[in-house]
Amino acid sequence: MKARTFAMFVAPSVVLMLIFIALPLVSVFVQSFYSTQQVFEQVQVESCTPGFISQTCTTELRSRQVLDAAGKPVTQTSFVGLASYHELLKPDVVAKAFSSAGGGLAAVMNIDFYKALRFTLSFTLITLPLVIGLGLLIAIAVNNVTRAVRGPLIFVSLLPFIVTPVIGALSIRWLFIGDGILTAALKWITGTNISMFAQGWTIEVLMITYRVWHVAPFAFVVFYAALQTVDQDTLESAIVDGASRFERLRHIVIPHLMPLIVFIALIHLMDSYRVFEEVIGFSSEAHRISLQWLTFSFLTPDETGNRSITRASASSMLTMVGIVLLLIPLLMRTWRDNRVSR
Amino acid sequence: MADTKALQPPLALKALTAGFVALWAVVAIFPLFWVAIMSFKLPLDALSSNPLNVIFGPVTRANSGGLSVLSLLIGLAALIAVYQAPVKFGKAIATKLAINGSMVVGWLLMATGFLIGASVFLFMALPAVTWLVNSALSPIPVIGMLAQPVIGVTLEHYKAVWIQYEFYRNFMNSMMITFGVVTISLTVGTLAAYGLARTKSNLAFWLLIAALVFRALPHSVLVTGYIPVFINSREWLSPLWTSPVTGWFFNLFSANAPSLYGQPLAIIVVLVSINQPFTIWMMRSFFMNIPNELDEAARVDGCTHFGAFWRVIMPVMWPGVITTGLFSFLLAYNDYLVTALLLDAQSQTMVPAISQYLNRDTKLSDQIEAIAAAVSITAPLFLLVMVFQKQIVSGLTAGAVKG
Amino acid sequence: MITKTFAAKTLGAAAISMMMSVSAHAACAFQNTVPVKSLTAAFEAWKAVTSAMAECGNVQAELDQTFRTKQPAAFAANPALYQIGGVSNGTLVPLLNAGSIRPLDDLVAKYGKNLTPNQLIKIDGKTVAVAMMVNAQHFMYREDLFKELGIDAPKTYDDVLAAAAKIKASGKVAFPLGATMKSGFDISIDFINLFFGYGGVPTKPDNTPSINTEAGVKTLEMMKKLSAFMDPEFLVSDSTFVQKQFQQGKIAMANLWASRAGALDDPKESQFVGKIAMASAPAAVAGGKPATMLWWDGMVFAKNISDAEADAAFRVAMEGIDEEMVKANNNAAVWLVKGFVPGRLAQGAIASANAGAPNYPSTTQMGIIQAAIGEKAADFMTGKTTATETLAAIEATYLTKAKEAGLVK
Repeated sequence: MKARTFAMFVAPSVVLMLIFIALPLVSVFVQSFYSTQQVFEQVQVESCTPGFISQTCTTELRSRQVLDAAGKPVTQTSFVGLASYHELLKPDVVAKAFSSAGGGLAAVMNIDFYKALRFTLSFTLITLPLVIGLGLLIAIAVNNVTRAVRGPLIFVSLLPFIVTPVIGALSIRWLFIGDGILTAALKWITGTNISMFAQGWTIEVLMITYRVWHVAPFAFVVFYAALQTVDQDTLESAIVDGASRFERLRHIVIPHLMPLIVFIALIHLMDSYRVFEEVIGFSSEAHRISLQWLTFSFLTPDETGNRSITRASASSMLTMVGIVLLLIPLLMRTWRDNRVSR
Repeated sequence: MADTKALQPPLALKALTAGFVALWAVVAIFPLFWVAIMSFKLPLDALSSNPLNVIFGPVTRANSGGLSVLSLLIGLAALIAVYQAPVKFGKAIATKLAINGSMVVGWLLMATGFLIGASVFLFMALPAVTWLVNSALSPIPVIGMLAQPVIGVTLEHYKAVWIQYEFYRNFMNSMMITFGVVTISLTVGTLAAYGLARTKSNLAFWLLIAALVFRALPHSVLVTGYIPVFINSREWLSPLWTSPVTGWFFNLFSANAPSLYGQPLAIIVVLVSINQPFTIWMMRSFFMNIPNELDEAARVDGCTHFGAFWRVIMPVMWPGVITTGLFSFLLAYNDYLVTALLLDAQSQTMVPAISQYLNRDTKLSDQIEAIAAAVSITAPLFLLVMVFQKQIVSGLTAGAVKG
Repeated sequence: MITKTFAAKTLGAAAISMMMSVSAHAACAFQNTVPVKSLTAAFEAWKAVTSAMAECGNVQAELDQTFRTKQPAAFAANPALYQIGGVSNGTLVPLLNAGSIRPLDDLVAKYGKNLTPNQLIKIDGKTVAVAMMVNAQHFMYREDLFKELGIDAPKTYDDVLAAAAKIKASGKVAFPLGATMKSGFDISIDFINLFFGYGGVPTKPDNTPSINTEAGVKTLEMMKKLSAFMDPEFLVSDSTFVQKQFQQGKIAMANLWASRAGALDDPKESQFVGKIAMASAPAAVAGGKPATMLWWDGMVFAKNISDAEADAAFRVAMEGIDEEMVKANNNAAVWLVKGFVPGRLAQGAIASANAGAPNYPSTTQMGIIQAAIGEKAADFMTGKTTATETLAAIEATYLTKAKEAGLVK
């Protein structure tokens, strides 16, 4: 294909991605080095608020935002360099924690960024094998049941995947929070009252369970589709050679599925690294936070409307670096495959 | 004969498989099933910690009646019929409806027809039939017992959501945005994917890798970039409308510069862009499976590249289009972050609207209304998977799964 | 059979709603022709007010509990995306700082004849907002249970602990105490209430923090002691969670928002209608003021809109908070509007106010300190950090944020 034709085919898509993905990314990158501050002045003002019967008025010193002639707030923007990265990573505190008098790893885990990184990484790396394993198991099992029930089974299996994530998380939460029926069931089985939302590790288990429940069906349907294309001749000759069921799985089916396992792993790494809905859905902020939640919380204005744009930008840049590092092995593989296929 | 026998699993393995599959099916469907039951109960029943109260709903039954065993049986039969219809007849009807042999149009028509037909059947015909049967049988002794209500059911929360809170508006908004995203996404993505699949340049390769990295970006980062632009767009764009050079041109479209905030069209473009990386990767792998010789043959016959793409390649691509389209559909339909932050109440889609019900949580009935709204959102997805489940599998088999 | 009841109910409901919409149009004093949009929080009182406004026609109300994430930007836009905004002491500040709301003195003079002076929020002599209700966290308890066990309504938090111990010993309820301690906003309000109760002042005149004080340590220690009597899931417990605990009889007492009192008396949801009494919030120290703060909710109007729009918006808003609405929704809130008859449910808020509960200060510092508390206080409750470590972390977080905002050099 000529370069010109190629350009015409890809142009609309590339333009969209440049404007709506690359451009915001660049602006976020630039913003992480600048800080915009408002300008306040101290003034004596009288302010009146309602009491229940009568009004209470007080005169007090108040920090007031300076407004310009047009009534817009005056702001100062200054270059702060790596200050916000420093603020997030707190290298001095980390160094102190690992010095002889420091609190060690526990002290580091009290810093938001490392807390979020720890959770995000373990969430990603624990769910990954579970999703692939469960997806594969379901696919093989469904492939082995009678043809008549396969249709309804596929339908049922796909449901957790298509359900709107926020709603899926909420429905699991409804089953467990307070005296939800599954908590009650657990109590009945184990004989002790387990409050699932009272401590960190149980919430983490719930979040991981939810994610596996939600994503395993995607892995399942991809693997199931691929199982339909396993070469029957190879299978049959393996049987003739006396290969056991497990050996056939190990030496024929799994290698056939390998590109797909990589594909699912790639997609899953990306998606679970930006874990966010679970934190909101299970309100786990007190115990477990994720990197994307950290960015989101910097961006959410507090009661008085302040956002930490600079730190949000810095934390999203760090998040990005993390995902690229995680993806490198898989990207290399994709790269090699693509090179070879040409 | 011996071969097929060897392929047959031993009995123990069979039992194990069946047990595992059954367990998984229960795990997969239970949370949704339970939430659906809750949505039909009054708050005292729905949030009761005794599961039997949630299922049978004594308070609900006392206050607003319920379903009898007979109605349950009839309902079950109807549900099975609705499930079977598209599986059995979907393809045949779609083939019949295909205009100019375009299967996509046929499927779309069939799916729409099915959605309308199923809802009319389930919500209008079914209650009438059960009522007739119940009232006819209830005077008869013994059988009459079966016509007595046993499970409390109320539609109060659905009424509140759909009528009082005008949820149908959110439904229309969702439909509009989803339709826009799916069509534009497929059009733009298919073109790009075809270009990428038929080029061996380094540029194409780097584009694909860049797209992969883009896909990994957390959405909150992107939305941060959008918010100021969306909110201030009228102020920023107005020079284009007022300046003498460009003003006449832009005035052709509207008298004032538009505000992007709350514009469904702007959201569609944003979601299409966010979805591009996935679309082009997926479509590209479909195109890779279509032999290059096919378009070369067409080119020899005097077609341009675009002509070859349109006349020869597209007609064999429709399983890929449907599968990719479904994923775009899910993305647009389920999106929360973008739609919640960039749309106002009038143009809001269903998912952010629900979180508003949840936040409007002063009363327990608000929570159950949120649950009812959640079930309402999920229902179209159910029907969609019913219609397309075979196409998802065969689509994935045909192409995307080659990695 | 069941379908018959359905049909009857539907018809009945339809008829009622039609009647309501007919009488509704009669309820508004004028026919509004200018499109007006509002963005407010979504609790019961706002539902009542916005539906009263909608009777005037051309009103689109957006009720959103997360409104504060979009309100500042939406009001700063030119033209503003909403004409009417619902605010409280806290959420007024960003709009005030950005100069995006208009002074209301001329509009009040023109259309506000039904307002009482008490409703006008003034800063520097200018009316910036119109209040409609007050809200406060105050003490609610199961009167029947307290009588049975011979406990008086507690006056101080030490009394609360004593009462909780007694109730726990009696085994009558699953957990003696409930509290809105969800990490974030809820826990920060609980902290601030107690902190002021112990005589603390969160910031110094130069805007630097003074949280790491004796009052701070006492506050955290009291919170820890209280939490021993709560459902162990207290860190996800928001107002609705506590409300549900009351309605299902899982707790015997809690400090809860006055605006939630109505739901406890709703026979459709609560199993303890009429059994939950309202009282002033307990004091932190004996003889002190109640350890709670008074909040108000009200309306502001955007600056970047035409005067005609502002006129229409203000008139519509006045229709929303008129006597008629209050009479129809008397128990939905503690209204400041004429015609409000304080009932049993309003007694807790009134008693707290009369006993001298302070007003929540509408300042930037307050918003930042609260965000810092909301982020860090949970670490103490889970036992990750000690009291002084937690307070130091709150101060550090406050300083970072205050520097970013430009409040501290």
